[in-house]
Amino acid sequence: MGRFFVSQAVLLCLAALLTSCGQSEDNQTVDTVSEEENSTSMFAMNTYVTVTAYGNDTEAALSSAEEKIRSLESLWSVTDENSEIYAVNHSGGNPVEVSDETAQLLDFSLQMNERTNGAFDISLYPVLTAWGFTTEEYRVPDDDEITQLLERTGVEKISLDGQTVHVPDDMQIDLGAIGKGYAGDLVAEDLKQNGVKSALIDLGGNIQTVGTKPGGESWSIGIRNPFGEGNFGVLEIGECAVVTSGGYERYFVEDGNTYWHILDPETGKPAQSGIISVLVIGAEGRLCDALSTSLFVMGLDRAANLWRNSDDFEMIIVTSDGGIYITEGIEDDFTLSKNFSQPEVSVIRR
Amino acid sequence: MKNAKLWIIVAAVIFIAAIVWCVIIITKPPGEIVTISQDGETLYTLDLSEESDRTITVEYEGRENVIEIKDGRIHMLEADCPDHTCINTGWLEDLPIVCLPNKLVIEFADESGADAVAR
Ligand SMILES: [Zn+2]
Repeated sequence: MGRFFVSQAVLLCLAALLTSCGQSEDNQTVDTVSEEENSTSMFAMNTYVTVTAYGNDTEAALSSAEEKIRSLESLWSVTDENSEIYAVNHSGGNPVEVSDETAQLLDFSLQMNERTNGAFDISLYPVLTAWGFTTEEYRVPDDDEITQLLERTGVEKISLDGQTVHVPDDMQIDLGAIGKGYAGDLVAEDLKQNGVKSALIDLGGNIQTVGTKPGGESWSIGIRNPFGEGNFGVLEIGECAVVTSGGYERYFVEDGNTYWHILDPETGKPAQSGIISVLVIGAEGRLCDALSTSLFVMGLDRAANLWRNSDDFEMIIVTSDGGIYITEGIEDDFTLSKNFSQPEVSVIRR
Repeated sequence: MKNAKLWIIVAAVIFIAAIVWCVIIITKPPGEIVTISQDGETLYTLDLSEESDRTITVEYEGRENVIEIKDGRIHMLEADCPDHTCINTGWLEDLPIVCLPNKLVIEFADESGADAVAR
């Protein structure tokens, strides 16, 4: 009887232990079951896209999002012969009727050109091609070639009347520096229309969120270290878009010089503004995308001035000498990574 | 009573084993499981904590990517792509290693750390 009692007691203890161990896992599953996580990934718009939605029955919303991305890609691809941008670029100077989405994106692109004093320019495609950034057959064009090519650029020569676009015969446009941002806006809208309350859209590092994380927590977004591997910091965000531009994204090295894909529309050469990466955060993906490229071109001082005259974005700029500059609106949301060598962060104030 | 002692010892051993097992399960760091996929199709699912050092070669339309696993870490060693972005990404951390031309992705199965990486 004694033996039975002891073994019984020991077994009871074991059972208690095992259930408590299992329970801590169960609790976690309960949390995730009530906010189920579903995601879909694909190669689209020249990048790797992942859309993650939280909540029950998000499968239909995700396939709708996927369809949306595919359809936008087919409108805006420069190389797809059936795309609207291809039609505009091969119009022989004749007016082309485009979809509402494309017209709105073009209209926004023209506005951004004005707002950035020309730093944002969708007409640089012929120059980008000469550098090989569109074909990956990299070369350094000489000054004469660049001067000639720059004559074939200029957003002021593009006209848009409703949904009718007119691009002169020798010019070509490319929405690569804004299309993913606008796609983020439209996909976020689409997810919301399909009842999704919490989602994260990652278009090759262009981040756009819907709502907060399940339970009201903020999203934590790592920021890529432009000098090497890993992240240099983390940004806590709610519903918004985050887009970065950096010299590290696409570049080639020739004769010891590094040439990156962000061109200065004035010189037709890789922008040498002293900036190595820019992060822009705001409500609209299209704005963040356009600004990240143009602030990179403008340099720290002009970027800070543009920010002081605006109220629709915040930014983090890393300069090539390792300086980190952050605007005051997101000062409290940013945490510098411990293993990043530069400990000083300067806050840009109004 | 001898039997009772034996029972206690046996139970104690099971008890300790159970604790160790629980601790392993709870503390096992997430983000050790890595998937290698091509154009949406998963080719490999690997547990980095258990993999020995080796290389994996993946082919896409005649072009090759060589993936290296070393000391429990994974990266793209060689690639037949024109941009070499995948190689330049370095060792796998928060952001997935993507070879766009060859539609190859190396990523952690269970996300660790940040929700996403702005890049
Ligand atoms: Zn590659």
